[in-house]
Amino acid sequence: MKVFLDLGWFFKERKKQYIVGILMLMVVAFLQLLPPKIIGYVVDEIRLGTLTGEALVKWLLLLAGAALAMYIIRYYWRMMIFGSAILLARQLRERLFQHFTRMSPRFYQKRRVGDLMAHATNDLSAVQQTAGAGVLTLVDSLTTGGFVIAAMAITINWKLTLIALIPMPIMAYLTNYYGKMLHNRFHFAQEAFSNLNDKAQESISGIKVIKTFGQEKEDIQDFVQLSDDVVEKNIHVAKVDSLFDPTISAIVGASFFLSIVFGARFIVAGEMSIGDLIAFTAYLGLLVWPMLAFGWLFNIVERGRASYDRIRALLAEPIDIDDTEQALDVKAQGDLEVHIDEFKFPEDERAALKNVHFTLKRGETLGIVGKTGSGKTAILKLLLREFEGYDGWITYGGHSINAYKKERLRSAIGYVPQDHFLFSTTVAGNIAFANTSAPIEEVYEAAQLAHIHEDILKFTNGYETIVGERGVSLSGGQKQRISIARALMMKPELLILDDSLSAVDARTEEAILESLKATRIDETTIITAHRLSAIQHAHQIIVLHEGTIVEKGSHEELMERKGRYYEMYQLQQLEALVEMGGEV
Amino acid sequence: MEEQPKLTGKDQGIILRRLISYLKPHKKVITFALFLLGLTVIGDVVGPILIKTFIDDYLTVQNFPTGPLVGLAGAYLFIQISNVFISYFQLLKFQEIALKIIQQMRIDVFTKVQNLGMRYFDKTPAGSIVSRVTNDTEAIKDMFVSVLVGFLQSGFLVVGVYIAMFILNVKLALVTLLLLPILFMIIKTYRRYSSVFYQDLRERLSQLNAKLAESLQGMSMIQAFRQEPRLKDEFNDINEQHWKAGKRNIKMDSLLLRPAIDLVYALALIMLLSYFGVTSFSNTIEVGVIYAFVTYIDRFFEPINQVMQRLSIFQQAIVAASRVFKLLDEEELVPNQTNTDARIDAGKIEFQNVTFSYDGQTDVLKNISFTANPGETVALVGHTGSGKSSIINLLMRFYEFEQGDILIDGQSVKAFKAQELRDKMGLVLQDPFLFFGDIESNIRLHNQNMTDEEVRAAAEFVQADGFINQLPEGYKQKVTERGSTFSSGQRQLVAFARTMATDPKILVLDEATANIDTETEVAIQSSLEKMRQGRTTIAIAHRLSTIQDAELILVLHQGEVVERGNHQQLLASKGLYHKMYLLQNGIVEETVKN
Repeated sequence: MKVFLDLGWFFKERKKQYIVGILMLMVVAFLQLLPPKIIGYVVDEIRLGTLTGEALVKWLLLLAGAALAMYIIRYYWRMMIFGSAILLARQLRERLFQHFTRMSPRFYQKRRVGDLMAHATNDLSAVQQTAGAGVLTLVDSLTTGGFVIAAMAITINWKLTLIALIPMPIMAYLTNYYGKMLHNRFHFAQEAFSNLNDKAQESISGIKVIKTFGQEKEDIQDFVQLSDDVVEKNIHVAKVDSLFDPTISAIVGASFFLSIVFGARFIVAGEMSIGDLIAFTAYLGLLVWPMLAFGWLFNIVERGRASYDRIRALLAEPIDIDDTEQALDVKAQGDLEVHIDEFKFPEDERAALKNVHFTLKRGETLGIVGKTGSGKTAILKLLLREFEGYDGWITYGGHSINAYKKERLRSAIGYVPQDHFLFSTTVAGNIAFANTSAPIEEVYEAAQLAHIHEDILKFTNGYETIVGERGVSLSGGQKQRISIARALMMKPELLILDDSLSAVDARTEEAILESLKATRIDETTIITAHRLSAIQHAHQIIVLHEGTIVEKGSHEELMERKGRYYEMYQLQQLEALVEMGGEV
Repeated sequence: MEEQPKLTGKDQGIILRRLISYLKPHKKVITFALFLLGLTVIGDVVGPILIKTFIDDYLTVQNFPTGPLVGLAGAYLFIQISNVFISYFQLLKFQEIALKIIQQMRIDVFTKVQNLGMRYFDKTPAGSIVSRVTNDTEAIKDMFVSVLVGFLQSGFLVVGVYIAMFILNVKLALVTLLLLPILFMIIKTYRRYSSVFYQDLRERLSQLNAKLAESLQGMSMIQAFRQEPRLKDEFNDINEQHWKAGKRNIKMDSLLLRPAIDLVYALALIMLLSYFGVTSFSNTIEVGVIYAFVTYIDRFFEPINQVMQRLSIFQQAIVAASRVFKLLDEEELVPNQTNTDARIDAGKIEFQNVTFSYDGQTDVLKNISFTANPGETVALVGHTGSGKSSIINLLMRFYEFEQGDILIDGQSVKAFKAQELRDKMGLVLQDPFLFFGDIESNIRLHNQNMTDEEVRAAAEFVQADGFINQLPEGYKQKVTERGSTFSSGQRQLVAFARTMATDPKILVLDEATANIDTETEVAIQSSLEKMRQGRTTIAIAHRLSTIQDAELILVLHQGEVVERGNHQQLLASKGLYHKMYLLQNGIVEETVKN
């Protein structure tokens, strides 16, 4: 029940709704007492022959009034309590999202998207259940249960009430016991199901091997066996699951039988009337639900507590890269100086960067080359302040990049990542990502600079074509160029292309580089690449190897040296030749 | 998020009928379960009549003869107790039937999947196929268990209750018939609104989740472009829409579900009481009858309430079933074999003018012809996308082809029985796929006739025994998570052993050494050499060094054979092969720039 305390802030926030809702629940619990009572009175009067038309109308009107009132009140308490519960889910979801947007890449390295999604969906719905159905079962089982027992004892016969209630605790005990048994068996059934799921997953991933060895039949046989296990384990569950209804009806039946037998004796003794007995049995029917609800309550609360704890832990994750109080609120521009003595990715032993020092003047272009894992992307990630905690310093326009407000630094940088991630919106929306209200002409302009304009016009809906899972499938080169256009839209002070020309053909690459050169005169550009043609024109080229700079200079200087760069260049020429089938 | 297919009422009807057709094989058990259900309903209906008899014949007149009363009580208890047992078995039977039906459906889907051609797997993500096999069928199970059985139970009960009411009092029973159209109207109205509102809620939820998943995946981009506030707004917007949809659903449920049914229940009580009250002015009424009617009305409403709550499960099951049936109706099957008695003895392979395209538009193989004589090795080299793998895909019959032919020992590859091809041709894939189990089961696969000695012999033959014997559990060492606990070289050796265990005539190697670490490469190389001896081999080679002794090397470029010959001949001709050779050996002295 601690979760109700933990959620106290929300109940306080929605004080009015919860108080009114709970009061309404109580009123309904009370009104529910009326119909059995009315039936009892009418039966007695009919039996005694004292029923008058007037009295009948009075009773019926009362019954109708109570029914209508219950209908209306039930509608409202549901709106109040369940409505609040979904509001809680909405608020928590909003907070989670807000929190997610503040988390650094380090956080996303640690957590898988699937897990985060699970928290935002399953855990939220468990908390929502607690604030809705949990509150309902708690209040309702207490009030309905209490009122009904009180009505039976006070208005009919307390002795009969005691006798009739004897079997009820057995029901509570048994259903609780079944619940525990079910829990275990359900666990096994889940396991069997997940084995089946794994089997299906494995067979589909390994379909080629299965086909190669002609083992389809045997594999199906294997699947059949596992599915037998699923059936068996589920029948185990069903064996317990099917106990609930018969047990409940057995217990209620026993109560019933006791009521009739002893009720008859009380009637004979003149302690109550036949009408009372009929009302009494109707009350018994009303007691079933609160008994069961009590069992559910523990379940709901248990799940809710675990889920809410997980959500709170997530929300408590600290924001590890944040602005300081005196952060610079000025435009970031100027020369870039990088002096990194050593940098390790979190939870990594190996240094990703070591002794990387270079200066890049405003308006110049820097090319970074090296094999996969040589540290190219690591440098960029530090520039983008995705990671902190390195030995050394990086300044931009004379200030440490850590001194700027994150917002200011990022607004200066146009970043085109290696894994070009596009959002499932229109092409135009993707290009104008940083400024959705930009005039379409600017979007066209950026697309033209990235040499994707013509391609876009050929799509069925042009710039309005939806990209992504449910939209058109774009080629890798098209995606890269859209990513470039997206970065160019910002007219960035510093443009970073992280191996983002790898999937475009040589001619397009050249054209894009040309247009960058023509339009970005005072601005700085950093390009990393496998293919040297992408950085050949740069003012300065650094060659990285195992996290450290092994060569530095212009293309011509590096070719002169006949070192690593020269070697790479020659091999790439050969590779290009092979790719083209040996002909030039 | 899976897309929700839009289904018309007619589609839903067709799907439901097809689902129900799965009940057919279980006719007998279902009849039995229905019989049990009938018994429980009779018990439910007779109980109140006994109590009515007690009230009217004995209690009202205060006459308590021991014999008949004990009989009455005995009958009542007997019915109650036997009802508890019967209803238990009835519930269990229905669940069993549902489970069996779902099992059959799963096996059908899985069997279907095994018979689908590679083209289907190319265009469908593995995850969504798995979903069809397991999750969608699970949703259908829920429907069988809770909805269909619930429908049957309430249907039977309604009929039973009405029969009893007609026996007790025809006039009043007729009056209560009025309840049916009212309930029917409520259910219909609820169905109408819920199909819109509930569907809407589900769509909003899937939008919400899609947005969240996308934002999480693209968070670095969102942060780099400082779009956190905008994305937050967009998310909050969807969140709000979802909340509004949720509120609409609560409103709908509150207006039309339990509160509404309870209102009708009160109406039923009013009908009963006014009937009895008004009749009592002119006739005498048996109080027991009032009791019985009140009890019947009570019983009657509970299952209706339950079924109403579960209508949404029904809706989801229909959607899931539509996806399952779509897979079952898929026509992209494995290529057909004409199943003659042709056998592979020598292992001669001939490609005759084979042209092939995956999509029917661009040819990935153009007029390919070559011959591999028995015992010879033909190597395929070329850049990614040159068509090497397609040649293997056709030879292995993963894809159907129309133009040209592939002959094995003079017979078209299409003529052999599938089993003959699988027995005589061994394929080693680039990515050696290990299954969950142990090393031994990965070599033997499902071939139960293979003895332990044969398994070990195969492992020794490919020199995998060295590392296997060093494992703590040897051949019984567990393989988990696709074999990620083994190095790629070790995995490849197991895959070799698996292939050798079947002793194929023809060996097909699909870049078998591409992902191997250098330490194991030497071991792999000598194993490969042994394997190739006496077998016709078609090998795709990533490293040219591995195929230098091949009798024939085909150099492919854009689906065509551009050079052919042996290693020496090809090097001498200084063509594409020569350049690839230089590239692989990192020889740059020779400036290729003209």
